[in-house]
Amino acid sequence: MMALIPSKEVVDVVLEAGGEPLKLCYQCGLCTATCPWNLVRSFSIRGMVHQSQLGLVDFESEDIWLCATCNTCVKRCPRGVEIIDIMRALRKVIVEMGVAKVPDALRLSAKNVSVTGNPLAELQEKRADWAKDLDVKPFIEGTELLYFPCCYPAYEPKEKGIARATVGILNEARVDFGILGVKESCCGDLVRKSGNETIFRRLAESNIKAFTENGVKRILVSSPHCYNTFKNEYPDFGGNFEVIHSTQYLLELVKEHRIEFAKELNKRVVYSDPCYLGRHNDIYDEPREVLQSIPGLELVELPDFREEALCCGGGGGRIWMETKKGERFCDLRLEQAIELGAEVLAVACPICMCMFKDSQLTVDKGESIEVKDVTELVHEAI
Amino acid sequence: MSRGNGHKSVLVIGGGIAGIQASLDLANMGLQVYLVEKSPSIGGRMAQLDKTFPTNDCAMCILAPKMIEASSHANIELYTYSEAEEVSGEVGNFRVKIRKRSPFVDWSKCTGCGLCEEGCPVILPNEFDQGLGKRKAIFVLFPQAVPKKYVIDKREERPCKAACKDACPAHTNVLGYIKLIAEGEFEEAYKLIRDTNPLPAVCGRICYAPCEEVCNRGQLDEPMAIRDLKRFAADHVNIEELELPTITKTGKKVAIVGSGPAGLAAANDLAIKGYGVTVFEALPEPGGMLRVGIPEYRLPKEVLRKEIGYIQKLGVEIRTGVRVGKDITLEEIRKEYGAIFIGTGAHGGMRLGVEGEDLSGVMEGISFLRVVNLRGKAEVGKRTAVIGGGNTAVDCARTAKRLGAEEVRIVYRRSRAEMPASAEEVAAVEEEGIGIELLTTPTRFFSENGRLARMECIRMKLGEPDASGRPRPIPIEGSEFTTPVDTVIAALGQVPETEFVTELGISLSPRGTIGIDPKTRATNIEGVFAGGDVVTGPAFVIDAIAAGQKAARSIDCYLKREPVAVEEEERVPEKLSEEEVADRQKRYPSQKRVKMREEPTQERVKDFREVSLAYTPEEAIEEASRCLAGLIEGCIECHECEKRCEAKALVYTMQDEHVEVDVGAIILATGLDLYDVSPLTEYGYGKIKNVITALEYERLTAASGPTFGELRRPSDEKIPENIAFIQCVGSRDFRHKTYCSAVCCMHATKEAMLAYEHHPGTKSTIFYIDMRAVGKGFQEYIARAQEEYNVTYIRSRPGKIEVTPENDNPIIWYEDTTTSETKKFETELVILCQAMIPRNEEAAKILGVSLDDCGFVEIPDKIFHPLDTARSGIFACGYAHSPRDIPDSVTQASGAAARVAEVLAGGS
Repeated sequence: MMALIPSKEVVDVVLEAGGEPLKLCYQCGLCTATCPWNLVRSFSIRGMVHQSQLGLVDFESEDIWLCATCNTCVKRCPRGVEIIDIMRALRKVIVEMGVAKVPDALRLSAKNVSVTGNPLAELQEKRADWAKDLDVKPFIEGTELLYFPCCYPAYEPKEKGIARATVGILNEARVDFGILGVKESCCGDLVRKSGNETIFRRLAESNIKAFTENGVKRILVSSPHCYNTFKNEYPDFGGNFEVIHSTQYLLELVKEHRIEFAKELNKRVVYSDPCYLGRHNDIYDEPREVLQSIPGLELVELPDFREEALCCGGGGGRIWMETKKGERFCDLRLEQAIELGAEVLAVACPICMCMFKDSQLTVDKGESIEVKDVTELVHEAI
Repeated sequence: MSRGNGHKSVLVIGGGIAGIQASLDLANMGLQVYLVEKSPSIGGRMAQLDKTFPTNDCAMCILAPKMIEASSHANIELYTYSEAEEVSGEVGNFRVKIRKRSPFVDWSKCTGCGLCEEGCPVILPNEFDQGLGKRKAIFVLFPQAVPKKYVIDKREERPCKAACKDACPAHTNVLGYIKLIAEGEFEEAYKLIRDTNPLPAVCGRICYAPCEEVCNRGQLDEPMAIRDLKRFAADHVNIEELELPTITKTGKKVAIVGSGPAGLAAANDLAIKGYGVTVFEALPEPGGMLRVGIPEYRLPKEVLRKEIGYIQKLGVEIRTGVRVGKDITLEEIRKEYGAIFIGTGAHGGMRLGVEGEDLSGVMEGISFLRVVNLRGKAEVGKRTAVIGGGNTAVDCARTAKRLGAEEVRIVYRRSRAEMPASAEEVAAVEEEGIGIELLTTPTRFFSENGRLARMECIRMKLGEPDASGRPRPIPIEGSEFTTPVDTVIAALGQVPETEFVTELGISLSPRGTIGIDPKTRATNIEGVFAGGDVVTGPAFVIDAIAAGQKAARSIDCYLKREPVAVEEEERVPEKLSEEEVADRQKRYPSQKRVKMREEPTQERVKDFREVSLAYTPEEAIEEASRCLAGLIEGCIECHECEKRCEAKALVYTMQDEHVEVDVGAIILATGLDLYDVSPLTEYGYGKIKNVITALEYERLTAASGPTFGELRRPSDEKIPENIAFIQCVGSRDFRHKTYCSAVCCMHATKEAMLAYEHHPGTKSTIFYIDMRAVGKGFQEYIARAQEEYNVTYIRSRPGKIEVTPENDNPIIWYEDTTTSETKKFETELVILCQAMIPRNEEAAKILGVSLDDCGFVEIPDKIFHPLDTARSGIFACGYAHSPRDIPDSVTQASGAAARVAEVLAGGS
C-alpha cells in the first residue's frame, strides 16, 4: 500500500462535509455490514469513514466511486454519521481539486449534463418532443401544476412511456397542468452525488430561475431523485416549491375518485422500493396503495422491502458507470422478482427502470417479467 | 387518618434489590420504613436473573433471604401491589397517599397453595418470564414471591351474565371451558368439564343444553354452540389415557343401584372422595338409559364405554346382570355397605290402552330401543308408525328408518308446538323423510293372519290446558279413519320400576317414584338415598347427573357423620338488559355460530353412523372465540378459583384501598424497564425466532423459568451449541438511547459463561464495540471467559441478521473491523443486549423530582451529594438514578439510607 500523506485542504473539505457527526463515528462497522455492495464484493465504508476522519484517503481507489447513495447505512448508523455527504465530499475533492482520476463514464456524463442539460447528450430543443403528439400545454403563469418528467422519460425511448402515461392520467383527471419543456434542465442529483458540485449549482440555479419566472408553485415529478433534489436540496439555493411524486399524486386522484378504473389488471405484481422515495423520503405506503387499488392486481413483496429494500445500484452516478456482471444489484433484484413468480416488476423511478431494463437483457429468463412504472400500470387500467 | 412519624419514618418506592437494601439499612437503624412496590411481589429485576455478576451466584439464592428479611422485619411495613399516589409537605414532614390495588384475594387468608391457579381457565403471557411462559389470570409473580399471595388480574367487567353456568343443573363452568378451547387447551377444557360432569362426551352429544337457551350471546345474534364445543373437547382427549387423580381411601363402602347417569355421577364423585363403590346393574351392559335408550347414531356406544371406563378406573366396580330384588336383596346390600344410592331410572314403558295393543307387530318404544341397542337389530315392517311426540318417539322413528322400514311416520295427538321432542330432532326427522301426522291418535289395531295389518285413528282438536299446562287433545267425533300399517311403536313415555325397594319400606309416590328429602336426597330409610328419573320421573341426562352429584355430597356427609352441607341457592340465569345488549352489539361485531357438519341424509339413514360430525380444531376455536365472557382481557369471573379455594380467600367485590403515611424522607428506587428493540429492524427481533433479548435469555436459563433452566432456543427447543451476543442494541445510539446502559458487556460475558456451565463446550461469540470492563476484577473476568469458557470477542457491530430457512439459524452479517472484511456468521441463537431505561417517570411526577434528558433522576450536586435529588428530603438510588449494576445499586442504596438517617437526625 502506498504511503498516504494527510492533506490539510482535503481533510478540511471532508470534515466540513461530514460535519460534527463524522467525529462521532465509533468505527463499529455496521455501515459496512449493511451495505449492499457486500452482497457482491468487499467494500468497507467504515474504513473509508475512518480514512476520512484521519484525512488519509486513498483517492486512487475505485471504492470512492462505488457508493450508490442508497441511504441504508445512514438510516442505521447509531452515531448519525451522514455517510453519503462524506462520499460526496471525497468525490468532490477528486473532481474539483484534481487529486485523482475521475472515471471516464462519469466525466463524460457530467460534461453532457453541463453542455446539453441532460446526461444523454440529447439536444435541449428536443426536450419536449416526447409530448409532441399529446395534448400537453406549455406551462404558463397560473397553471396549477408543473409536470417535470426527468431527463430519462423525456429522451430515453425505453422510458418515454412513463411521461406519456402520466400525461394520459392527468388529462383523464382533467388536471390543469403544463410542462416547461426546453426551459428546464436536469435536476442535477446524479452529478452532485458523483462529486460535481459546480455543475449541480448551475443546474439548480437555472431550474429555480425557470420555475420562479414562470410562476411555478407545485411540481409533479416522476423521479424520486428529482423529488429529493427539489424538495430537500433546492431550498438551500432559494428554491421553495411544493413537490409531489407521481405515486403520491396518483393516490390522491384515486381517493378523490378523479380517476376511475375501467379494466381489471389480472397480474401478479411485485414492487421495488426506490431508495430516494423510500429510505430518503419515507414514502412506502402510497405506491403500494395505488397498486392495490387497481382491480385484479395481486401485489406481492420481495424478500426485502420498505426500509430493507435492496437498491437497484443506479444512484450516485452509478447508472452511468459499467458495473461488472455478478456485481449488479439490479440483477439480484430482478432474479428475486422472477423467483416470486411475478409477471410485472413495478418501479416508481426512471433510474430503477433503466437499470432493470438493462438487467432483463442479461439475466436468465429476464424477458419473462415486464418492468413497468406504477404510473404505466394505472394508465393501463383506466 | 395517617400513620407514621415524620421524624422517624421513611418511604421507599420500589421493592427491587436497591429498595430492599435501603429499607433494611433504615429499619436496622430503628427507623420505620414503608416499602411500596407496584407489582405483587418484591424482588424486582434481580429476581428474574439466573445468576448474578460478578460472583455468578444464583440470583434467587442471595436475593430470597433479603426479601424474607424485609418482609418480616418489625420496622418494615410492606405495601406490594401498591403505588404512591400523592406526596405533599416537605423534608421531615411528607404526607404520602398510597393506593393499595385490590388483589381480589384476602391476603390474610390466602396460603399461597395454588389450588386456585390450577383451575383458572384464563391463560396469559407471563411478564415475569418476559412473555416466554404463561400464567393464569390468578397468579403469584414467581414461586419465591414475597409475599406469596395470589392476585387476580382483572381488567374488565365481564360483558355477559354467565347465564349458561346458572342454567346448567350441574353448574358446569361453561365460560371457563369455552375460554380454554379458544386458547387451544383442549385437554384442560375436558378436565374442567369433567370436574362437574363425569360424562362430557355423552352430554356433548345428547344434552338438551339449557345453557344455550339462556346464553347471553343469543341476545346479540346466536347463542354459543355450547354442547358442540363440549363434544369437541371430549373428542380431542384420549379419555383412556387421561391421568387419574390421587385418591385417599376412606375405607368405607357405598352401593349404587343402577348404572345410568345418576348412578355413574354418584359413583364417580364418591370414588374420588375415597369410597369403595359398587354399582349393581340389572342389564348386561352398564350405562342405563344412555346404553339402551339412546340410538347409536346419536351416542356411539364406544364413546359411552370410554367414559364409563374412566369411572371404573377410579376404582368403581360395576356388576352387570345383577337385578336387585331378584339376584340380591337390598337388605343384603345394606348389611355390607355404609350407604345405598338408588338411581334405577325410568325404564318401564306406558301402555296405549287401545284395542289390539297386544297384537304381534305392536311394540312399546323404550323396549324397542333397548332391543336394538343391545342386539343391534330388531324386526320392523315396511310401514311403521310411531305413536308419541317426545324424544323417544323421534329416536324410535329414526331407528326404524335405519332398520329398513320404507315408510315411517310419527303419529302425535297434539300439534307441533306441543311436541316435547327438541326442535332440532324434529327437523332431523323430517330431513330423513319421516312423516309427522299431527292431531291424530290410534284408536284400534286390526290384524290379518295374526299379525298387525291396519290401524284405526281419530283426528283430534286442541282444548283447554290440562294438568301438564298443554292444551288437552279432544277427539273429533266421526273423524275416524283406517290406514294400513305393519309395525306400530308406541313411545308414550316411561315410568320407574320401583317394586324392589318396597322390601326395605321405602315410600313411593302414587306415580311409583321414590320420595326423598329434597335437602338430603335421603329416602325415609336411613342410609338409603335416591336420585334421577327414579325420583323425578323421566327427565334429562344432565338432571340425573346433577341429582347423582348432590346425593354423593350428601352421602359423604352422612358417612362422615357430618351435617349435610347447605347447598348454595340456585341462581336464576340472568339476561342482559336492553341497554347492555345495545352496548355489546356496538362493541362486538355480529358473528353467526359455527355449525357442525353432518353426514349427508341419503348416506346416514343407511346405517347407525353418528349423524353429527365434530368440529375441526379451527372451527372449535372460532366458535369458542365468540363467547362474550372470553372477549375480555384477564379474569372472566368464572369463579372457578373461588370454588377451589379451601381458605375461602376470594373476594370478587374487593375494592382498592388508600392509606396515608407521614414520613420524613423518601427514597426513589424504581429500577429499570427494557427498551423495545423491535424498531431496530436489522436485527429482526420479533420476526426471527432465534433472536432473543438478554433478559429472555436469563429466564431461559433460570430454574424457575419456562424451560426449567434448560437453555432451549425458541424455534425448535434445541439446546444450542453455538450462540452469539450483540452489544449496545439501542444503547449508545443516536436513533435510540444515547447513553451506555453500563451493564451489558459484563452480563453478556456472564451469560456466555453460564451457557458453558449449563452445557460444557458451548461456544459463545460476543460482538462488541468497546469492552467496558471498568470495575475491579472485570478485566480478569473477561480473560477467564476467553480462557475457560470458550468465549470469543469480536469488535464489530453487526449490520443485519438473516435467517437460514432450513434450520432457523440466524446469520449475522458483520465487518471484521480488524481486517475490513465483511463476513457472515451462522449461529444457533442470537442474544441482543438491549438498552435499559429508567422506570421512574410516574414516581418522579408524583414526587416532584426532575429528570434529565435521558430520563434518569437529575442530581444537582453530582460530587458531594450524588444521591440527593433536586427536591430536599428525596433521594434516589439504583437504575432510576443512573445506569449501574447490582453491586453498585446496593452500594447506592446503603448510601441513600445513610443520607436519610443524616437528614432525619437534623443534618442537611
